[in-house]
Amino acid sequence: MTDIISSAPETAEAPRRSRLRASLAKDRKAQVGLVVLAVFFLGMLLAPVLAPYDPNEMTLDMMQGLSWSHPLGTDDLGRDLLSRILYGTQISLFVGVVTVAAALIIGVVLGVIAGYYGGWIDLVIMRYIDLQWAFPNFIIAVYLVAVFGTGLVNVIVAISLAFIDDFARVARSMTLSLREEQFVLAARSMGVSDGRIIMRHILPSAMAPIIVQATVSVSYAILGEATLSFLGLGVEATTPTWGLILAEGRGFISQAWWLGVFPGLAIMLVVLSINFVGDWLRDVLDVRETV
Amino acid sequence: MTMTDDRLKAAMQSAWHDAHDFDPRDPLFGLSRHELSGPRLSRRATLRLLAAGGALTAAHLMPGGLGRAIAAGKKGGTLTAGWAGVSEIVTLDPAQMGQVLQFQITSNVLSGLTHINGDLIAEADIAEGWEVSADGLTYTFKLREGLTFHNGDTFDAEDVLFTYNRSKDPEKSIHSGNLANVASVEKLNDFEVKFTLKAPQASFLTKTTERASGRALTIVSRGALESMGTAQYGLTPVGTGPFRITEHQLGQGVVLERFDGFYDPERPHLDKVVIKPIDGAEPLAAAVEAGDIQFVGGNPVAAQLIDRFKSNPDLVVDIKPGPGFQSLWLNPHREPMKVESFEKPVDELKKEKGFMVRLAIAKALNRDLYVQQARFGYAFPAYGTINPAMGYYYDEGIAETSEQAYDAEGAKQLLADAGYPGGDGFPELELIVRPSERRDGLVIANILKQELGITVNVATQEFSVMIENFLAMEFDMRLGGSGGDYDPDDGIVDWMMSGSKFNGRTRDKEKYPFGYFADSEADALIEKQSITPKPEDRRALVQEANKITSDKVASGFLYHPVDVLIHSKDVIYPAVSRIPGLTDLDRVSFA
Amino acid sequence: MTAYLARRFVGALLVMWAVATLVFFMLRFVPGDPIAAMLADAGSEEAAAALRAKLGLDQPLIVQYFYWFANVLQGDFGNSIYGNNQPVATIIAEALPRTLSLALISFVIAIAIAVPAGVISATRRNTMTDNAVSFVAFLGLSMPDFWLAILLIIVFAANLQWLPAIGYVPLEEGFWPWLEHLLLPAIATGTAFAAIIARMIRSSLLEVMNRDFIRTARAKGLPAQKVIWRHALPNAMIPVITVVGIAFALLISGAVVVENVFAIKGLGRVLIDGILNRDYPVVQGAVLIVSAFFVFSNLAVDLLYGVIDPRIRYS
Repeated sequence: MTDIISSAPETAEAPRRSRLRASLAKDRKAQVGLVVLAVFFLGMLLAPVLAPYDPNEMTLDMMQGLSWSHPLGTDDLGRDLLSRILYGTQISLFVGVVTVAAALIIGVVLGVIAGYYGGWIDLVIMRYIDLQWAFPNFIIAVYLVAVFGTGLVNVIVAISLAFIDDFARVARSMTLSLREEQFVLAARSMGVSDGRIIMRHILPSAMAPIIVQATVSVSYAILGEATLSFLGLGVEATTPTWGLILAEGRGFISQAWWLGVFPGLAIMLVVLSINFVGDWLRDVLDVRETV
Repeated sequence: MTMTDDRLKAAMQSAWHDAHDFDPRDPLFGLSRHELSGPRLSRRATLRLLAAGGALTAAHLMPGGLGRAIAAGKKGGTLTAGWAGVSEIVTLDPAQMGQVLQFQITSNVLSGLTHINGDLIAEADIAEGWEVSADGLTYTFKLREGLTFHNGDTFDAEDVLFTYNRSKDPEKSIHSGNLANVASVEKLNDFEVKFTLKAPQASFLTKTTERASGRALTIVSRGALESMGTAQYGLTPVGTGPFRITEHQLGQGVVLERFDGFYDPERPHLDKVVIKPIDGAEPLAAAVEAGDIQFVGGNPVAAQLIDRFKSNPDLVVDIKPGPGFQSLWLNPHREPMKVESFEKPVDELKKEKGFMVRLAIAKALNRDLYVQQARFGYAFPAYGTINPAMGYYYDEGIAETSEQAYDAEGAKQLLADAGYPGGDGFPELELIVRPSERRDGLVIANILKQELGITVNVATQEFSVMIENFLAMEFDMRLGGSGGDYDPDDGIVDWMMSGSKFNGRTRDKEKYPFGYFADSEADALIEKQSITPKPEDRRALVQEANKITSDKVASGFLYHPVDVLIHSKDVIYPAVSRIPGLTDLDRVSFA
Repeated sequence: MTAYLARRFVGALLVMWAVATLVFFMLRFVPGDPIAAMLADAGSEEAAAALRAKLGLDQPLIVQYFYWFANVLQGDFGNSIYGNNQPVATIIAEALPRTLSLALISFVIAIAIAVPAGVISATRRNTMTDNAVSFVAFLGLSMPDFWLAILLIIVFAANLQWLPAIGYVPLEEGFWPWLEHLLLPAIATGTAFAAIIARMIRSSLLEVMNRDFIRTARAKGLPAQKVIWRHALPNAMIPVITVVGIAFALLISGAVVVENVFAIKGLGRVLIDGILNRDYPVVQGAVLIVSAFFVFSNLAVDLLYGVIDPRIRYS
């Protein structure tokens, strides 16, 4: 996964807003992305109204192709695929957002403290981050779920934990370079408290790359949940998830292509839209992609 | 075929009459002891057993023995086989293996004293024949002479002793328990060994000395074990079978090549067999349809592929009852299915709330719907551990006579009587399944929801976790069962006795006085059948015990799997090799 | 700098030790019993106890840990609990070439796609071509790799029958058999990396093109193609190389799912199967190897940090 380091500190709030709007007007991909995300968000909220069937209702109409009564066909247990995908939006998006929010908060706190104070605190936190960095995020998530068992909470904890180091790294490297900036040094020499410097000067300036990292991470979290489910290590709720639908359909795809295509498409569309939006944010917040 | 149609018809007709010419209470009446001794049961005895079990088919009546190879294929060729549902074959050492997909391979490489045929009856393998003492306590095997192992070592009685000593050592073999009934093994001379049993054991020839399913006495090579060490021996075991293993890369596959020193110089027909493990239904289907593999072995093929393969004109798909059962286990130590003791008549039990719930669940299992939805129509409803592949011992009538017979109204009534009308107030239960059984678990949960209005949550656990919970009786419900059950003992002795190896083996005995089931009446019957050598008497005992375990809901019996043989049209797989669950390739050839 | 390097090297070893230790204890404190799984069908408790004793699993945890650690220091990773107790070193030695082969081919495919794609979209910035390339790159990033893997099998193996559906053939058995088994899985794993690298090259190239020496070269009238390939691209590749370093390490483990679909027993599969089966020695050995790849590729990347951004000082 890539880290993001910004070069330009950003402080003024109002010009940023108008710049966001202006650049959005120019960025067609971001527009499409936001619209698609809005559609999925609505689908998530309105699933009970929109879904034609109970997503778990089994019938003997197994693997029926696309028809008026089942617009996206039925799965291997005769359940309506459209209803399942609609309900699947709930958990897939929920997992994506919640895991990243948790990882962001923990990671940023760790990273800023490490970067700002340096010394042994930095050493301890960095060793932890190195420890996690010694493994790809996905393997960490797989390991945690395999060890502690499947289920919604375990999956969320596993994916969040796996992302902490990404945010900590970004926050730390931002803090490290900001710490040496004139405006921080000036504030320090004037005796402004550490907490205030962090909250007022460092965090706002570090926010841009963190936001961009967060959008990237949401897309990876959604993919991660899908992949865990595919390996049989996913959320085991009664509500289906996209990854689970794909995993369950895995053995039937060549007989019922819709089982492999539509949930995969849903994942791809959401991830694609998030990436479009992330890319736009990267441009507009002037965040440089490096390592 | 050499006979004219008329003569063949006449021969088959006379065999048919002979087979059915018996007293239904004792089909073996009038047969001599000779006809019941090895190297195989006499043809007459076998046909009668089959007829009595209702399993007699035209193939059995063909003259010249049970389903001799009819079409003669050519010699030579390389067969590429896919082993379904497995990513690697961890070991082929008989002392360490416990899965059907493993002994399907070793049955082509290693030998036993006996080997079962397609009707699950033991025949001579590396023993030429055997004699049983009148009290059923000693078996004297005459070994084939002049044979060598794949590595050139000669085979004699010492190898049988070596195998026995290795297998009974729990540090070296996981099958030591299967030799518990053997008191001693003696070498009479270089080619004769005598086994003395502690008690008579009807299943001795099909369970203990059998080359594939037995494993405890599957002959291993002393020399090879010494020279290559156990780790390597587990990859490339050396034996006296028709094929020798020339290569085994974990996760990539096993290569078998024709062994010229096999005791039947006519066999095997193939030069080489390449076995590739293939996990996942789609990759398997792709490999079969692309022609990458011409034969499918391993775990049972995913049910949804059977119709698809059947409609493929390049493939032969042959379906038979499979030797096993699958079941819904209900923990009698958990509310609301709690049963203090099974030691009373069924009518007494039926007055207890916990038993009513158990019976309601078992009765509510709409097995036909289950088979349709979960197995795509390919399975047989089960009401006990004795499977239809056992033909003679299987109770055809149990579907009607068992208390567990599907009855939607009766089940609802029982649940209401137990205090949960329409499932109201019934606690949510957890059903533990292995990852590969998740789909089946969902179907069961759905059926119980529909029929009884109760909620069952399916929880997937890896085998290492699930089996720990199951053996310790720490679960509400579990889905699972057995495969490779060739002898009634594999069902009732291994699963249904209070001391059965799966029956709460590691439970906290203070907390749980018994495992999932314990009934002294069933125990006594099962013990008795296992020492009853006469098939007819044994059958009655087996069926009685089976019926009790069914009526008392030792488990909610679900289905018996099908055994599906899949190979390409240009492969000839003769009927004589069609042993349920096994893939003996020694008589297989290319057209 | 030498002292710094030495310190980082020791640090990397310490991280590996900590990971291995953490994994050792975490795996043993959770439910799951390999002996029960192994002896499920066979066993008496007597056999289970005998096997536990033989494998040393009856010892106190801390004693097991020190035994294991002392053996690792001597280069002995122990034996698998299952089957015939294959040495862990053998299992890893068999899996590693498969994973490295897959990673190599994925990497070649990724670079072969990414370099031209990145250059084209950078040189034709904001044209239809750039948009198309960037859209395809996004698509590649957004597709779940296991989904792509299944679609590839259905199309190229089952329907067109151009390539084998599954399996791996060692290089010793011929270049083409080796390659044809790796093509589909390599495309499945390489696509996302191609997308990442292409985007990296594009932005890096755009930045380099704005630098003085490129402007000078252009002003001197050098042909545009030559400026890009001879001057701009090599400079633009520097930050990309750091990504590539990580990407290669990621490929090694990230292929888990794809290895699963294509039935290739690589390092990722060894690790996951080991975890699921609670095969402790295998998990510990595989973890050490995987973490070694990551720790050292990260170390290399970190060192490159300093070269690229002088503001970050090593002390």
